[in-house]
Amino acid sequence: MLASAWFTFSFADFQYAFLSILLEGLPFLLGGAILSGVLEEFLPQSMMTRLLPKNPRTAILVSGLLGVVFPVCECGIVPVVRRLLRKGLPVSCGVTYMLAAPIVNPLVILSTLAAFRGQGAWEMTILRFALGLSVAVLVGWVVSFFAPFSILRPGLISTEHDHDHDHGGSGGMLDRLQNVALVATRDFLDVAVYFVIGAAAASLFSTAVNQEVILPLAANPPLAIVSLMGLASVLSVCSTTDAFIAATLTTFPMAAKLAFLVFGPMLDFKLLFLYGAAFSKRFILLLAVGLFAVIALVCWRLSILNLAW
Amino acid sequence: MKNSLSIQGLRDSLMLLLWGGFILWLSFFGQLINYLHPSLQPYTAASGAVFLLLAIFGFRSWFSTIRAQAISQDHNEHRDHHECEHGHDHHGEGGGLAPLFFKTVLLLLPLAIIISGKATAYSITTVQNRGVVDNISKLPSAQSTAASSVSSAAQNASSTPSTDVSSVATNGSSVVAVSTSSPSNASGGPMPLQVIDMLYAVQMPSYRSEFEGKDVELIGQFVPMTTGNPKGDRFQAIRMFITCCAADAKPVGVTVQYPKPVNTSEMGWVKVTGKPTFPMEGGRRTAVIEATKVEECPAPKEPFVY
Repeated sequence: MLASAWFTFSFADFQYAFLSILLEGLPFLLGGAILSGVLEEFLPQSMMTRLLPKNPRTAILVSGLLGVVFPVCECGIVPVVRRLLRKGLPVSCGVTYMLAAPIVNPLVILSTLAAFRGQGAWEMTILRFALGLSVAVLVGWVVSFFAPFSILRPGLISTEHDHDHDHGGSGGMLDRLQNVALVATRDFLDVAVYFVIGAAAASLFSTAVNQEVILPLAANPPLAIVSLMGLASVLSVCSTTDAFIAATLTTFPMAAKLAFLVFGPMLDFKLLFLYGAAFSKRFILLLAVGLFAVIALVCWRLSILNLAW
Repeated sequence: MKNSLSIQGLRDSLMLLLWGGFILWLSFFGQLINYLHPSLQPYTAASGAVFLLLAIFGFRSWFSTIRAQAISQDHNEHRDHHECEHGHDHHGEGGGLAPLFFKTVLLLLPLAIIISGKATAYSITTVQNRGVVDNISKLPSAQSTAASSVSSAAQNASSTPSTDVSSVATNGSSVVAVSTSSPSNASGGPMPLQVIDMLYAVQMPSYRSEFEGKDVELIGQFVPMTTGNPKGDRFQAIRMFITCCAADAKPVGVTVQYPKPVNTSEMGWVKVTGKPTFPMEGGRRTAVIEATKVEECPAPKEPFVY
């Protein structure tokens, strides 16, 4: 066992948390992969460009709101976005949808309302929705200035299905289902590799780091915000339930809890690795720094203005 | 390259078969309860079945690919066309056998952990790192559930003023488990409680009065107290409270005062029998069970409280 005041490692506990995260996340990851297979088989490539507004900025905003009607949690979103990008979705729209969907989805809205009942539930829910959507749209807008190949993982688009051919034209329903299954399998296993690494990182920190070391930081708003963003990354909790955990951090200011609720679903430890299935390492690093800075600054500003308590 | 792709196709199907098999095995033998909240277990169990279904499709495709490869040279052109139509996207990104091997090992790791059978509960290390919660308002759960649980518990307690209920509810507390145990025991023996009931009673005077002076019995895991234990006669009986899965588990504990040595290891399961008290300590009310008997017991079927 490795031990210090803030870090005590137990391999058995690490394994236990690791398995728990995997078993919890697998159905959602699999759901995303199957959705990816369905999109590949049944969504014509031209449909994507026809559905999105012609104006790029409006298209980014619409992509951000897509999560309201097309909800996918943060584990399942990566295979879906990979497939949509291959189907011709602009990278800026893909990134916006990926970042916003785990926050703007109706289940998350309801769970935030329930968790913060008696603690300014409406304010917290509206702020979470608005900040999550705004940050996602902002990132999408910035991404729109860059060439897709500088952002995407090498070979993501060019090696697979960048030409439009229709599986559905040949074979019966069983063959089409087989195509869905094969794409789902491929996407699931591709992303699962990153999920395994991310779950391992999250398990290491969630079991080995003494979580009480952050408690003294609660009195200082900037430190409280940064420490809860770090905690959100470490815990890697699903966005549908993270509000219940945030609501119990009673010693922390609400602005810090807001930062926890917006940053976690966008970039926790497991996502840091999961994004590697779709994006370049350089982009993920810049995304991490950018998201951290923007969310921390906005929440800090809200705390100064006393808008977020 | 084609060999590499067909190996990957076979690897994919075998991998899904293994993952699906292990998940269904965990589900069939009731092991998922060690890892997941009951509401999430059906999804994981269903994913096991879906893995098997995907594996069947994968094998079907793999066999048809192998069959196509076995066709004579005369049909090469047809086979290549077939590969393009049904094979290239589904059989991965290529990259050779080394990355395939690395990814395969990585994907087999979780299965190896399941086989080892050692990762089924937390040790004292994680309990200490997460800190034992002894205040009900520090537990995460739905407020609405809390309110209803509080109401039902209050009705069980038969004399609960409404102010008690609201004072607990507005603190963000939640006690899903509390409604599962009633503060009365028809058989006349010790009243069976959950650890969480004691914390709940700390905040509700009326609920507290139902317990005080009566014999109660609860099950928890033994955690020695290193602070706030000058006489060395106290330990904590804890349960793990989860929101989604064991990764977010929070230890919830009640202090037990017992002058004799407890014959169990750290995190061993104990049944505590004694009288609950609610003294003021360190400027706040706490729950302490003055135990008359502490004995080792088997782990309960449901290791968590929710």
